[in-house]
Amino acid sequence: MTKSPEKPNVGRRKFLTGAAVAGAVTSLPSVGEAAKEGSSSKELSPGALPPSAAQMELEASSPEQINEQLAANTASAETGSFGSDFMVDVMKSLDLEYVFSNPGSSFLGLHESITVYSDNKAPEFITCMHEESAAAMANGYYKAALKPAAIMCHGTVGLQHAAMNIYNAWCDRVPLIAILGNHADANERLGATTWRHSAQDPASMVRDFTKWDDQPHSLQAFAESFVRGWKIATTPPMEPVAIVTDAHLQEMEVEDRSALKIPRYTPSEPPQGERGAVRDTAKLLVDAESPVIIVDRLARTPNGMKLLVELAELLNVPVIDIASRQNIPTSHYLNHTRKAGQLISNADVILGLEVTDFFGQVNSVNRANKTVQSRTKEGAKLVTISVNDLYMKSNYQDFQRYAPVDISVTGDGEATLPALIEEVNAALTRSHRRAIADKTKDLRKTHKDLYEESRRLAAQGWTSSPVSTGRMCMELYDKIKEEDWALVSVGASERFVSSWPHRLWNIDEHYRYLGIGAGGGVGYGLPAAVGAALANKKLGRFSVNIQCDGDFMYANGALWTAAHHRVPLLTVMHNNRAYAQETMLVQGTANRRKRGIDRSNIGTEIRNPDIDYAKLAEGMGVWSAGPIEDPDDLAPALAEAVKVVKSGYPALVDVVTQMR
Amino acid sequence: MNIKYFSSVIAPLCLFGFGAFGQEDPSVERGEQTFMRVGCFQCHGTNGQGSEAGTALTPDTLPPEAIANFIRFSPGRMPVYPEEILSDAEIADIVAYLEAVPEPPDPDSITVLKGLKVGE
Repeated sequence: MTKSPEKPNVGRRKFLTGAAVAGAVTSLPSVGEAAKEGSSSKELSPGALPPSAAQMELEASSPEQINEQLAANTASAETGSFGSDFMVDVMKSLDLEYVFSNPGSSFLGLHESITVYSDNKAPEFITCMHEESAAAMANGYYKAALKPAAIMCHGTVGLQHAAMNIYNAWCDRVPLIAILGNHADANERLGATTWRHSAQDPASMVRDFTKWDDQPHSLQAFAESFVRGWKIATTPPMEPVAIVTDAHLQEMEVEDRSALKIPRYTPSEPPQGERGAVRDTAKLLVDAESPVIIVDRLARTPNGMKLLVELAELLNVPVIDIASRQNIPTSHYLNHTRKAGQLISNADVILGLEVTDFFGQVNSVNRANKTVQSRTKEGAKLVTISVNDLYMKSNYQDFQRYAPVDISVTGDGEATLPALIEEVNAALTRSHRRAIADKTKDLRKTHKDLYEESRRLAAQGWTSSPVSTGRMCMELYDKIKEEDWALVSVGASERFVSSWPHRLWNIDEHYRYLGIGAGGGVGYGLPAAVGAALANKKLGRFSVNIQCDGDFMYANGALWTAAHHRVPLLTVMHNNRAYAQETMLVQGTANRRKRGIDRSNIGTEIRNPDIDYAKLAEGMGVWSAGPIEDPDDLAPALAEAVKVVKSGYPALVDVVTQMR
Repeated sequence: MNIKYFSSVIAPLCLFGFGAFGQEDPSVERGEQTFMRVGCFQCHGTNGQGSEAGTALTPDTLPPEAIANFIRFSPGRMPVYPEEILSDAEIADIVAYLEAVPEPPDPDSITVLKGLKVGE
């Protein structure tokens, strides 16, 4: 079926074997020399030796010289079938559209198979400037396309870079497939760099925040691992998985492709809550006088939003949307998110649907004196429906504080809603329905009042310079509201722009808002936006990213990726020239210690020099405007930027803003 | 109200005459400078317009007692400012500044805030 290359012949892509593309270091001459000498690969044992003269020479070679060497090696190209070709076939079977990657020597075979064997289509290689960006792009892509993407990186240094945004995906329940290159067989390592880029157990680095990983040792096992990994990742609770894809396996020559089988993928049905517990929940809701629903990652799909609206309208229950996914339209009269504290403290039944931090919703924590106080009234019944208890790991504490509740339904929220709606319908009497209908007028008025209050607050500071976040967000909305828009990222928290989009934008579709970088790791916003915008490009949506300046500087190479791959994305900089969150926290600490706050800016402000984000964008081939300090200059700049994006390119508008 | 608190904070504030100063009063300018210097603007906005990190302080500025109370004894996220960091006189200046901030425009007079969809 397959065989390992026993001698280092120079085939169709053998030129790539052992080449350290990520750096200028490569072991190609060793392979070439060995081929001339007819020695076997085992005899090379290059990793155990000091670099050869040829390797040393190549270290000092110019890119042109390296290319000449590559060309010489490919002169005798043959068109065989390789392990990595089969791997690409497996990816195709799952309709994997994109592999986000920065090139590296441990996955050269796959790199070549994607770009040559598969003509860089399905999957397409998206060039990223950092593995952390690659992982964020896969994260954003999933949330827009609702299907996984893959990242591909070294199992060592690349994964070290990617880890933070894999963690963000983990906290955000986003499935992504991490393909990790490695050289497990020490005898196959063709130089010092290859040794440094090899590990006994590469996936161990991210095992605490991936759902599953594997290290297949044959192509058939790879096929099963990949399909299994895809299935595990996309079964709620959805999470990233990692598959170590050894370079040796990628390079295997496949003699009989028909002997390799790709297993059929059958998606798992999401787990539903137990019917009796669902019925009990329905009874509580029906009999409640002032129930409230809290939602976070409920709507995995647009259907989740429809179901929630159906349930909420059936009972006329106000909804608090934490909005890690868009669960209920902001314009819906039952979206009372801005009144959360009052609703929770008055509620007699509180239903949490896919809320990770339910404890934090029903309790308030005083940071100053570290005390906890319940926000609920005496006797309030608490119910949760979620997959939180189905899968978690011990080390990282993203599972949040334990929340005692009256009914805990373990099951996927979206998948359980049809049964809950059915049970509510069955439990509702005529008098229930009359009482529920009587609430409509007041609920509509409350929603309108909340909206009017936000509109009034947005007008405050309207002419301020720096520009108020309310003005920035509303000028932006005015320019995009007639498009089929999607706010694909607001970085680590929408609160950084005082949640103006959720207060005043009509977020009426599931895809119009994709949540945040859930792990709070900085360096998510821009690359996640690029990944989502790539998905939206095919879907005909206009992608908008509100970009915090501190987050931008972690991963600004993602702008180049957007320019290079022609990803239409409007990025509006929330440039408050600070790590504002930390400014406030440092200030609070200094105040508590009575030492003055005059040094709170040290380490927290991004000034002296001020960064010119427009110039930075321009340097990467992205249309840009700014820095804008006069709020009256904002509308014309945004209008121009929208035109650029509608023509199919990225654009950036730098706005100097108030802190929040 | 705690007598000690009244005598140490509220009474001096009253002596400074909260709300009694006009735009030209030097305490307004001092108040703006202090508002910026001690970082109030970071959460509350340069015009006291507020944000999700800090409540709006304008145009409906709270009574001076309430502001002073929050500054000295904030139970929540608001950092506590002891007298060593922010004197009573400085608090009085800040309130003078906030009260001098002009009324914001009517949202209906702002094109992009008009005609937005409310409810279904």
